[in-house]
Amino acid sequence: MDETKLVFLLFSLIIVLFGFLALHELGKGILYYIGVLLLLITTLFILAMNWIDAKLFSAITSILGITFQPAKDYTINKHQNAVIKEVNGIFYATGYITANLFAYTFREESAPEDDEEKMISAPELWERIVMNINFPFKFHVLASGLDVQGIRDELEGKRSYQEFQLSRAMQNNSNEVTLTDIRRRMNMIQAKINRISQGEKPIATVMYIETTAIGVSEKAALDALDAQVNQLRLSFSSMDVETSRIIGRELYSLFNFNFSLPTGMKELSTMFDNQS
Amino acid sequence: MASYVGMFVGLILASAVLMGIVMFVPSLLLPSYIKIILFFISLVLDAMAFTSRYYSYLIGPLLKHRKKHVILSNENPYWLAQSGDTILRKSGENFIATVYISIPLYRSATEMEDDEKLDFSQQISRLVGLSKDPVRYTSELYVMNKDSYIQKLKERITMTENEEADLQSKDAPKNELDRVRGKLAMWRNMLDSIGKGFSFELSTYMTVSATGVKEYEASSLAQQKAKELMSGVGSIFGVPPSIITGADLLRFVEPEYLLPISTVTEQISKNIQEQVI
Repeated sequence: MDETKLVFLLFSLIIVLFGFLALHELGKGILYYIGVLLLLITTLFILAMNWIDAKLFSAITSILGITFQPAKDYTINKHQNAVIKEVNGIFYATGYITANLFAYTFREESAPEDDEEKMISAPELWERIVMNINFPFKFHVLASGLDVQGIRDELEGKRSYQEFQLSRAMQNNSNEVTLTDIRRRMNMIQAKINRISQGEKPIATVMYIETTAIGVSEKAALDALDAQVNQLRLSFSSMDVETSRIIGRELYSLFNFNFSLPTGMKELSTMFDNQS
Repeated sequence: MASYVGMFVGLILASAVLMGIVMFVPSLLLPSYIKIILFFISLVLDAMAFTSRYYSYLIGPLLKHRKKHVILSNENPYWLAQSGDTILRKSGENFIATVYISIPLYRSATEMEDDEKLDFSQQISRLVGLSKDPVRYTSELYVMNKDSYIQKLKERITMTENEEADLQSKDAPKNELDRVRGKLAMWRNMLDSIGKGFSFELSTYMTVSATGVKEYEASSLAQQKAKELMSGVGSIFGVPPSIITGADLLRFVEPEYLLPISTVTEQISKNIQEQVI
């Protein structure tokens, strides 16, 4: 959770707290209980929006049947998982899947030989995937360089915290599993620090797959899109890619990326935090 | 300040004011049934304030339209710059220019030794870390545009059908009629085989954007960033990248260029025919 979201959550919950303090002003009868109910619903809604906003939002639009027009000739369907365009009676439905290839771009804890094997097999795996797919798709890697010193300071802070955790666990005579876990995390952080020291540039990435399906009706296009998305998820599973269908506001952001990209890292990081 | 911050501050203040009225105005001046209404509105505004963190772009249009089809924008999502090499769009008071750069990579893993595969993967890793600005690298598989070829075949078929009808009406000799029918069968078979499946092309490109107060400012900044990236790509892969211009740009932006219309229609009608049979 980023700082801005934390501030939003804090202020929104303060209003709810004031609401609890204001309850006695509503009297002791039925209005009091209505007030309690409203407060509980608001609290639940805010907390749900904090953790699962995309799912909650698409559930609301699905139930109410709300669709959006993000630009002329385009529509986002009520399930918030596709952008549809109609051209000359043909419907084009576009969907997005997250596809973060961490194994290939971030060599975290695996042994160098294992890492090398993955790097060697990657081009061949990619070609096999492309050869076996018989519909259009795009694999996007949106990358941005990060401030080297800032990242180094952050990693050193994390390492110090893990060292503190380790010493506390040793004082408390924690079991070997806990100690191994903390040591593993420390090794990962140290590996990242070493790589930065060796001159490697830290980058932030958002990787996603975009696919477009066609149909003579909106439903046919959406059905075809579902099938294509499933096939892509299956095909990319061979590359150890964590894939999930993108819904809600992130779909809107990715749709806009076709026409303009965010020009700063901060703007990019505020857009993706749940699904990507 | 981001627009969502302004919206949040406005909504949270309105919510706090209403809650303050409920808390501090005596019940003699404000009856309880009005207080519960204000209490309800305050909580709705509070929930909206939190939601504005990610959905500020929706709240305004949703309240304005109050329909099931909410229009966020009624304008074209972009327009092409006069030079034809940049996509432009307006964002608030600023313009955002986006440039697409083609990376001509024609290497296949099947022709590579293990060392070369490792080198290639490392080159891709270096490519991804090329710029401090957000850059998007894309590999796109799209349907080859056979529209003009299909149109030409359809025209040939119509012409040959006319020729056949002419010959029939003139009671032409059988061998002449057979020749035209053979030609017609040939064109139809060709159209059938083309319509049976798509042919695909794979392109690799990167995208970079820049913001400016004026159109030309945004365009020139984006072009400058593109040139820097192009020299980086050239040094990594040893290939000459180029800025994508004109109609070629649309293939990376519009879905109907990803799946060209005649090619697609031919495929759909083939599928329907197969289903009917």
